[in-house]
Amino acid sequence: MKTEISFTLNGSEITLTVEAHRRLLDVLREDLGLTGTKEGCGEGECGACTVLVNGRAVNACLYPAPEIDGKQVLTIEGLVGPQNELSIIQKAFTECGAIQCGFCSPGMIMSTKALLDENPDPTDEEIREALLGNLCRCTGYVQILEAVRRAAEKLEESR
Amino acid sequence: MRRFAYLKPGSLAEAFRLKEDMPDARFVGGGTDIMVQIKNRVASPSTLISLRSVPELQGIEARGAVRIGAITSITDLIKNDILRSRYPVLVQAARRLGSAQIRNVATLGGNLCNCSPCADTATPLLVLEARAVLQNPRGTREIPLSELFKQPGETCMDSDEILVQVMIPAFNAARKGSGVRAVFSKKGRVKMDLAVASLSVLIQTEGDKVTKARLAAGSVAPVPLRLTQVEEMIEGKTLSGKLIGEAARLAEESVAPITDIRSTAEYRRHMVGVFTRRALESLWTRSEA
Repeated sequence: MKTEISFTLNGSEITLTVEAHRRLLDVLREDLGLTGTKEGCGEGECGACTVLVNGRAVNACLYPAPEIDGKQVLTIEGLVGPQNELSIIQKAFTECGAIQCGFCSPGMIMSTKALLDENPDPTDEEIREALLGNLCRCTGYVQILEAVRRAAEKLEESR
Repeated sequence: MRRFAYLKPGSLAEAFRLKEDMPDARFVGGGTDIMVQIKNRVASPSTLISLRSVPELQGIEARGAVRIGAITSITDLIKNDILRSRYPVLVQAARRLGSAQIRNVATLGGNLCNCSPCADTATPLLVLEARAVLQNPRGTREIPLSELFKQPGETCMDSDEILVQVMIPAFNAARKGSGVRAVFSKKGRVKMDLAVASLSVLIQTEGDKVTKARLAAGSVAPVPLRLTQVEEMIEGKTLSGKLIGEAARLAEESVAPITDIRSTAEYRRHMVGVFTRRALESLWTRSEA
């Protein structure tokens, strides 16, 4: 079964025809070539596929593609600036050494984006809570926590 | 990924019509469970009927009782001011359900209709004496939530029935002067894991006497379970260290846990006792909300 979907992807309107059983993750990676969003477990446990739908973090591996019709989708590719410069959150992750193999990073960064958009000055407990659904197997959680705190500070300065 | 059709009805009537045309189709809320089952080939539905765009299933309204639309996401439940002030135990439990990514998509109706013994929203709703509003093309019925759960994965609903709303009666609201207070406890292997054991406890007091006690345990029986014997033991009495100890022992005896990949029956049983004791102690000493 095919279905037509129209949605906003990283600020641009797009319309696509997709097979109804496909996941948002498949559409992003395979149809649109946006491979920044990773597939880890494919079961909503690891958070590597985290993207924002209408501003909220979701697992793209569990999100049926037909449900994105009419919605706003933001992926890691949508964070960079007009000159392809990294966003404040991405910079904070690199500066704090919160990136090692990098596989969890897009998901970690999107979860951080969702958190800081809603709560610009989170406590450590709130950061841990927000990133609970994102696993890092290089065990860089300490640096990741530091990166989120730094991103919050830098975003505050930039306002 | 196995192929399936995915339909998005825009009304309850349309959802019923689609189900009538395709009896094998399955209703789905946020899909965070069934998408995993499909991937692992535990489920292989030919058609999913998504209830996410059905307006009759949305919204939270409070006129005396609070009615929560079944398609309300767990996040929206947590953010709702009425629920936060009147039924904090439900919000407490909802906050412990999965990760932020799951809570943003998973729905109250989905959590209940999956009929998992570990459903985090089930035990607080059981102690709040919530009722389930079910509807099919032939009509609407309202049942106590405790009757919804039959066995793991199986509700009492007819195949063409949809859980429309969950209704929480006003008399269990934690209002000033009502004497009602409640608490949720959960043990998972790691924080976002499914519960190894969970317990919700609600008590109402008048002076130092317990006029009402409600206890419900998760992950320790085939379905989320009200511990009515423990309730009867406490009601009409004044809480004391001795009574709490006896209640905790009776709670342990009232459950029927199993050993599986997450934990052992012994540990689960023990935790129900621990949670009962801790909850009653904290509710006993805590002045009313």
